[in-house]
Amino acid sequence: MNSVHQTAHRRSTPRIARVAAIVLVLAGLAAAPWFSSFATQRLLVEVFCVASIALAWNLMAGYGGIVVVGHHMFVGVGAYALFAVSNGLQLNPWLSLPLAFAVSVAFAAVSALPLLRLSGPYLAVATWVLAELLRIGALNTPWLGAGGGLPLETIRGFDRATRNAGTYWAALAVLAFAFFTAIAMLRGRLGLALMSVRDSQSAAAASGVNVFRTKFLLWVVAGAIVGVAGSVSYMGTLQVTPDASFGLNWTAVALFITILGGIGSLEGVLIGTLLYFTLRELFADYGTWYFIGLGSLAMLVMIVAPSGIWGILNRSGQMDAFGIRRRGETLS
Amino acid sequence: MLRTTQLNAFYGLFQALFGVDLNVAPGETVALVGSNGAGKTTLLCSLAGAISTTRLAIHLNGQPVGNSNEIEQIARGIALVPEGRRLFASLTVHENLLLSERNGRSGPWTIARILEELPVLKRLLERPSTTLSGGQQQLVAIARSLVANPDYLLCDEVSLGLSPLAVDDVYSLLAKVRRAGTAIILVEQNVGRALTESDRYYCLRKGQIVLHGISAQADRQAIAAAYFGV
Amino acid sequence: MLTFLEITLNGLMLGALYALFGLGLSLSLGVMRMINIAHGDLIVLGAYLAAFVMDQTGLDALTSIVFVMPLMFAIGWLLQSVLLNRTIGKDPMAPLLVTFGLSIVLQNVLQEIFSANVRSLEAGELSLLSFSFGGLSIGVLPLATAAITIGAYALTAALIAKSHWGRQVRAVADDPDAARLVGVNDHRLFSAMTGLILALISLAAILYGIRTPFSPTAGPERLLFAFESVVLGGLGSLWGTLAGGLILGLAQVLGQQVNTGLGAFFGHLVFLAFLIVRPQGLFGSAARQ
Repeated sequence: MNSVHQTAHRRSTPRIARVAAIVLVLAGLAAAPWFSSFATQRLLVEVFCVASIALAWNLMAGYGGIVVVGHHMFVGVGAYALFAVSNGLQLNPWLSLPLAFAVSVAFAAVSALPLLRLSGPYLAVATWVLAELLRIGALNTPWLGAGGGLPLETIRGFDRATRNAGTYWAALAVLAFAFFTAIAMLRGRLGLALMSVRDSQSAAAASGVNVFRTKFLLWVVAGAIVGVAGSVSYMGTLQVTPDASFGLNWTAVALFITILGGIGSLEGVLIGTLLYFTLRELFADYGTWYFIGLGSLAMLVMIVAPSGIWGILNRSGQMDAFGIRRRGETLS
Repeated sequence: MLRTTQLNAFYGLFQALFGVDLNVAPGETVALVGSNGAGKTTLLCSLAGAISTTRLAIHLNGQPVGNSNEIEQIARGIALVPEGRRLFASLTVHENLLLSERNGRSGPWTIARILEELPVLKRLLERPSTTLSGGQQQLVAIARSLVANPDYLLCDEVSLGLSPLAVDDVYSLLAKVRRAGTAIILVEQNVGRALTESDRYYCLRKGQIVLHGISAQADRQAIAAAYFGV
Repeated sequence: MLTFLEITLNGLMLGALYALFGLGLSLSLGVMRMINIAHGDLIVLGAYLAAFVMDQTGLDALTSIVFVMPLMFAIGWLLQSVLLNRTIGKDPMAPLLVTFGLSIVLQNVLQEIFSANVRSLEAGELSLLSFSFGGLSIGVLPLATAAITIGAYALTAALIAKSHWGRQVRAVADDPDAARLVGVNDHRLFSAMTGLILALISLAAILYGIRTPFSPTAGPERLLFAFESVVLGGLGSLWGTLAGGLILGLAQVLGQQVNTGLGAFFGHLVFLAFLIVRPQGLFGSAARQ
């Protein structure tokens, strides 16, 4: 009895430190609109949204064993949902976000049903087909603005400073939501179920895990995160178009970040995002050579160091910044 | 001579064999006994090249062959009949044999010779291999490894799930193999059968050799003790 | 009524081209259990290679296959040996992720070398020839495409069913570990298979390049059409992919009748509908997944 009390006590101190650190970081980031330029804020909006989208992809691929190439379908749906709701109901964009979020959740739930019948590469590419379907659909739908897309009419009433700060805080909220949801999910029963399904679907099913329900919940959570990140991302650009919002580029970046940072680790998402944006700031001017470089780097890492940078840093398997590792689990 | 020296084998991070020393002379039949999970299959897979080991852990005729793959071992004359038979479902019996014959070494064991020794297979040749009975499939599986003309035939649980008559058929085939001068390493759950069919035996427990000796002089009680670790 | 027949024929002949796109993908999914995301970009590469050979040698589009096919076979062999064989085995999704990176690299390399401009392969008079058959006008080239497609499928099926190589391929598809135990060198087999796939792609590439203007970024859409053909036909069935391609071609041509920009859209719609109603495709063995 004594040792149980001691164990609980031993775990709670680092936990408090962890929570305090996260709160401090968030508070610091939240203060940014008073200390930085509009350009910096816009960049950070992009960084937060991209990180969230990458996190969702990593959740599905790394923890759930579900790889999707059509990840960008959630971005487009979230973006168009926000614009349609906001313009349609003449509601300010921030108040429209929860409604757009609901649309993203609904879409994720509905799309899961036909798609989760597939697995492996078949599922991966089928999602891409759906994304294409949605892109072409939006391109040919007049009330969604067709090729030219939609402007965010309802944001016009706000001055620049408010608009930028508001979008920035929304993006920060999305990032926090993404991480906290991921952590909560992975520490809970769903996380355990996920990892068992990833390791061996048949063994998991034999142990009483509802495989479909596990995958379904993961899909909806991931789709919701990407959807709301898409909504906020386009809130910042003020215009949504089919080719951009349903563009494969969103998935490519998420993939790149996950591969480089480390599949199946939350720490890797942060590392990967940092690395991606650094490389972009430095080399994007090189045009096609920049893309050749990124693609080659991703291929190299997949072959030489498949666990990514975090995998190399954490070779012992002991580090666990977000407190989600379970006893007995080793980094593969 | 096929010999292991302090062989360690791993499945990922999990160590399955600890310092195993074993040898098989040309033409000998050696039995491996032990409970489930003792490491018998791991040992056979290591010898066959399916599990990689350090170079010096396994020697064949004095040459270190530890870090070889299955294809290299086939070329050297070591063939494994895997547990559960694992015939190719998309191939007929004949195609299963043709495949192995073409990829293996040449020698006395041709498909024609197999059909002489096992006439029952003649009318089964064009059947999809997995439509045969368990016993027939086991004969085909052994035949499939034989047509590669190995010097060392590794048999993993070849009597598993078979009726007593089928088991007898399997062992009479192995007797013919033995008479032809091929060495056999036999993993067999039935300890009595294992001892009658072999020259020497090794008993494994938790990845280590705990007992070995000449089969004809084996003390059943000592084996039972070693087997269960009492 | 005649027009409907012509539409159907056009759809079938377009479908034959898609079936040819899908043939290689069907092989790689069925045997190596991997998808090459760069499959479509390799088709485009083949088209550009043909253009290059035509410029350098003065050969016409169809004859250029003499150089393009061996070149593509070699590229496929190298690609598998040097890059993709390192991804097979451990993580089932590694080949997909690596070929995703390859797709991006390939598109940008093509853009660097050939610029982003759209071009096509000159087939001269051949692309204009057609003959009349009972009042119908049938293009020679589309008909030739259909014939070549059926020929390619027949040859591939025969190779797999009758040859020693084909036996090894089927064995590895069933049980790669047991195949190695009987001496099948799966890595070398995969290199030969990818070589074959790219050789088949080169056929498709030339027929595609004659028919449709292409650019460095045209790859992904080709992959999607190839993929849809495979899934519609049913996983694990080679001839099923032919049927799947035909269905896709028909769907697209019919969609174009409704709205010229919506051909591909209708194809995607039919694909997803199939997924909901009959996920194993036409001839699929559900076990294969």
